[in-house]
Amino acid sequence: MTPIKYRSGILSLVIAMVLLFSGAPFCFGESRSFTDTTGVTVTLPKRPLRVVSMAPSITEIIFSLGQGACLCGVTRYSDYPREAALLPRIGSYIRPELETIIELQPDLCLAVKDGNPDKTIQQLKAFGISVYTVDPKNIASILRSIKEIGHLLDVTDTAMALTKKMGEQLAAIDAAVSKAPHTPTLFFQIGISPIVSVGKNTFLDEMITRAGGKNVVTSHTPYPRFSREQVLALAPEIIIITSMARNDIFDVVKKEWESWPSLPAVSTHRIYITDSDILDRPTPRVIQGLAMLTTLIHPTLFPEGAHE
Amino acid sequence: MSESPFRNRSLYRRNLSIAILLILLLALALIMGLATGPSGMDLTPVWDLLSGNPAGDALHIAIIERIRLPRVLMALFCGAVLSLGGLVFQALLGNPLAEPYILGISGGAATGAILGILAGFARIPGISLTAFGGSMVTLFLVLILAKGESRVNRDAMLLSGVMVNAFCSAAIMFLISISEENKLHDIMFWLMGDLSSADMTQVGMVALLITPCFVIIFLYSHKMNLMLMGRDMARSMGVSIRKTTLILLITTSFMVSAMVCQSGLMGFVGLVVPHILRQLLGSDHRILVPATIIGGGFFMVVCDLLARWLPREGEIPVGVITAIVGAPLFILLLKRRRTS
Repeated sequence: MTPIKYRSGILSLVIAMVLLFSGAPFCFGESRSFTDTTGVTVTLPKRPLRVVSMAPSITEIIFSLGQGACLCGVTRYSDYPREAALLPRIGSYIRPELETIIELQPDLCLAVKDGNPDKTIQQLKAFGISVYTVDPKNIASILRSIKEIGHLLDVTDTAMALTKKMGEQLAAIDAAVSKAPHTPTLFFQIGISPIVSVGKNTFLDEMITRAGGKNVVTSHTPYPRFSREQVLALAPEIIIITSMARNDIFDVVKKEWESWPSLPAVSTHRIYITDSDILDRPTPRVIQGLAMLTTLIHPTLFPEGAHE
Repeated sequence: MSESPFRNRSLYRRNLSIAILLILLLALALIMGLATGPSGMDLTPVWDLLSGNPAGDALHIAIIERIRLPRVLMALFCGAVLSLGGLVFQALLGNPLAEPYILGISGGAATGAILGILAGFARIPGISLTAFGGSMVTLFLVLILAKGESRVNRDAMLLSGVMVNAFCSAAIMFLISISEENKLHDIMFWLMGDLSSADMTQVGMVALLITPCFVIIFLYSHKMNLMLMGRDMARSMGVSIRKTTLILLITTSFMVSAMVCQSGLMGFVGLVVPHILRQLLGSDHRILVPATIIGGGFFMVVCDLLARWLPREGEIPVGVITAIVGAPLFILLLKRRRTS
């Protein structure tokens, strides 16, 4: 196909798209414009009725705003809340299926900045689909993303109420942590073999600090590898093990650490195994994760009302 | 072998019917490739697009024209380039195990691509340029090795290619070990080969770069025949071994690099397709070169179709399909040939 013929093809397609998308959505009233953090402006009908979520965290945020009904497609591992698992799938968040999304004809696609392939987002935009990108990667940006999605779905009040409540819970945790007499050192293990931990400037590092712990890892590599000997030298007071797979292997890992009684975490019996979902998904459940982490690190200081 | 392939009438008929069959199969595969999407196979919008029916379903016509057509064409070029690359290197190096990556192109391109991904470049043009640069560096190394000697030493070239690839795979392993999770996915998809993000600009660029290479290689097909009969024989027929080898080497490496930097590494196809066609058509490169272009394209379009169509959700990497389909097919042909 020659470039000239292709260009005329684009032109006729643009016309077709304009005809196609100018009909239904605008009958809900005035349209609204939003600009995301990447500088892209999307124009939406008064209230988008068909939304595709391109990451499990976005699906969770939409359900937490009570707007699960407007979702017409979600990514493969969108498994929370349980209703999300029943929605049509659009591939995984690292490999969304372009054709499936286009066939769903959504009013709005919600994407995440790190994870969704740029190429797919460009192709969706080329098909006239509005793509709004959020970037929830730490506690502050999760709160911001919830507000942004609330505006987009025209449920600003719900979003404000949710973020206000989350802010109060956060403040309660912060207040409790500030009373802690001691900041214990902590080794956070997210990989089993090899041993992988979390470095500075990661979401989990922020969570550890906020929960009143001190990450023994000071490397700026996001997910550095460790040998057992290196961990022994760091002598953490607490070891927390988390992974996406949940099975018996964690008890084995714990036993392996327990064969090194010189480790402070072993001698004081402070090796914990946790569910990774509420700790590493940037969603409203992050507060629960933080509360859980705080309880593990400071069992005597558990703040009232921060867990639900 | 030096006589015209068309002198013998029954051979001519046989080759003609195989050519027509290959072209028909390719056309069928292309149409099936256009008609198949995640929600199954539907020929109506393909027909609407081809016939220019204005009443057709605009959305699906657009999907076919802008998503599936570039992808199917990319698969076609990819299969053609890699198979032809395998054919040329097998003849040039006199080694049946030769494939288009044998001189280190894959290692160079992959190292370049991974550096591009880690630097956060866009897929187009950033990563494809760093991949192309990487493979050109390896080609340059191989050429330096070939330079200065009165004749190009095939064994030295092969071994240096293997070494370049080994060195690069160590570099790749190192880069992977220090990569962040979200970049790892990009790297894995690149190493497995990926046609899903092709667009028409890329297809046009690839076509522009590889078509002259096809022509050059076809013009040298008779010389390849002579070289296969032995170097002394070829020299006595007036073929400059060094010049022919260098031109074919550079043309093929350039063509493979131009392709791979867009599609990522597609394994296996370059090894199996030339062998299958040689089993069917004999060893005359004047027939094998065009047959490999068509046959390789057909093979890849079918494999890509299967990669999209077989799983209920998502895609299988196309490189998995090329080997799962290609290896048994090849062994079957080899066995049949032995027994007959």
